[in-house]
Amino acid sequence: MSREPMRRTIRGGRPYFFADPAIDKILNMVVVLGSEVWTLRERLAAFEAIQVRQGGLAAGEIDAFDFSPEQEAKLAGERKEFIDSLFRILQEQVEEARGRSARATQTSSARVTQKSASRAKPATPTRRSSRAKPARKTAKRRR
Amino acid sequence: MLELKHELKLDKSRDEKARMNFVSGLRAHVLNDMATGMRAVFDADVEPAFRRATGRAPTNGPEVHKSIKANEYFKFYSSLRVTAQDMVWQSVFPPLERNRPQLKDKAARLARRKKFGSLQLKEGFEVPRYVSAIDVHLMAGNYDGEYEAEDLAAGALYDNGLAVFSFGLMGQNLDDIGQSIAGFIRLKFPNLKPKKILDLGCTIGHNTGSWKDQFPEAEVHGIDVAAPCLRYAHARAQAQGREIHFHQMNAEQLDFPDASFDVVFSSMFLHEVPKKGIEKIIAEAYRVLKPGGLMLHMELPPNGQLSPYEAFYLDWDSAYNNEPFYKPFRDLDPQAVCARAGFKPKNFLQFVIPSVGWYGEKVWSEAATRPPEVDSDKTGRLTDGIMWYCFGAWK
Repeated sequence: MSREPMRRTIRGGRPYFFADPAIDKILNMVVVLGSEVWTLRERLAAFEAIQVRQGGLAAGEIDAFDFSPEQEAKLAGERKEFIDSLFRILQEQVEEARGRSARATQTSSARVTQKSASRAKPATPTRRSSRAKPARKTAKRRR
Repeated sequence: MLELKHELKLDKSRDEKARMNFVSGLRAHVLNDMATGMRAVFDADVEPAFRRATGRAPTNGPEVHKSIKANEYFKFYSSLRVTAQDMVWQSVFPPLERNRPQLKDKAARLARRKKFGSLQLKEGFEVPRYVSAIDVHLMAGNYDGEYEAEDLAAGALYDNGLAVFSFGLMGQNLDDIGQSIAGFIRLKFPNLKPKKILDLGCTIGHNTGSWKDQFPEAEVHGIDVAAPCLRYAHARAQAQGREIHFHQMNAEQLDFPDASFDVVFSSMFLHEVPKKGIEKIIAEAYRVLKPGGLMLHMELPPNGQLSPYEAFYLDWDSAYNNEPFYKPFRDLDPQAVCARAGFKPKNFLQFVIPSVGWYGEKVWSEAATRPPEVDSDKTGRLTDGIMWYCFGAWK
């Protein structure tokens, strides 16, 4: 058994509370954004503390600073990761939709090509069942 | 954020730590501040509206739930709590995924070290569907998800996730439940000198170790159905220098002989099992206990002991946190369940034990000298001033 990435999507979906689930999703984005803003502040605080300790930071130096092209490129990659993480909640829906399409393809066609079969499990688990059945449907679950 | 204190601790970047700090802070805000706010909204708006409509107060948790569902504050509380719960695990995945190879190497090294305890897994073991088919408390992959041979990542996810989740309320080693309860039992029953102790559904053994600490002479065993958690539990115990024997077993059908344990314990376990399973587990506990032995389950308090609002508050998890067996468990009468398994009703006991970490040794140890208390609005709530509920029986 090779090393597969851990599955990060919750089976059984997640509950939504507002009349329009879009509100829950946007709230989630705001909170993830808040998390990243906080992360940045902690990092900046660490950086400044180190600089002050070492006497390496002069007043106004950060405002006057420009990145090199290499540094810009590295930041671009990190920015992409940041944005992906911000919209992860929407990606969940896409992964589920792909899973459904793949299952539909598998059942409608007896001949499944190797390629589509491997696409059929994007972030799928190595589990007995991929669908949880809550004992009671107290939560309103929507896609 | 709480840093794990043992060698399996993940190597995390400054940013990853900051994200975890944020999630811990968010959870503390939702579970303390917003929970208090929601109660105020209920008292001021929701309950009066219910009274106007029905001429009486709500009489149970489901009525409170129904009456508050449309309230906007409830929606924000719930939506943020789900978001925070999801972010607990999401904050662990990136450092964990990167650390997986090193984690396995560390575990292998720890296993080669002087052997303290042991690990027994079973080839072809069948994990019950109530574990294998659910991502309990929104934890993707659950306790048993395996992604490579000899995998222990699910155990690491749970350990690191708990550290973020508990925002300090489960102790520096995530063992406040074990330390509070095993210590309380030692103080309360000084004549109890257990030779063998069993922890059911022990997951990563975070509360199993406390029994060894409190009763160093005893042989301590932990069982669970999830292999990745048990592998991690063994490595964790090795790292902590604790002699604990972990076995892959289903608590509904133990491999141990009759009358072989002095204490059978579990913590935060039964509420993740369907009712049928709970009855079997209590019956198995009765079977493997020696006459005069003690069965003890640390759990969420039963609905019968709570106000309608508190019942609703705790049952939130059942409705929205992928805990389908949580409310059915809390609707059970613990004394009746013990009696059905063969325990004499007069031998039933229950306690509410102050968290030793939160209240300190003085308040905690004094509680052992008082008659058992059960009613408190802090019981079972992961909040400031936490109290742990326990029930059980002597055989």
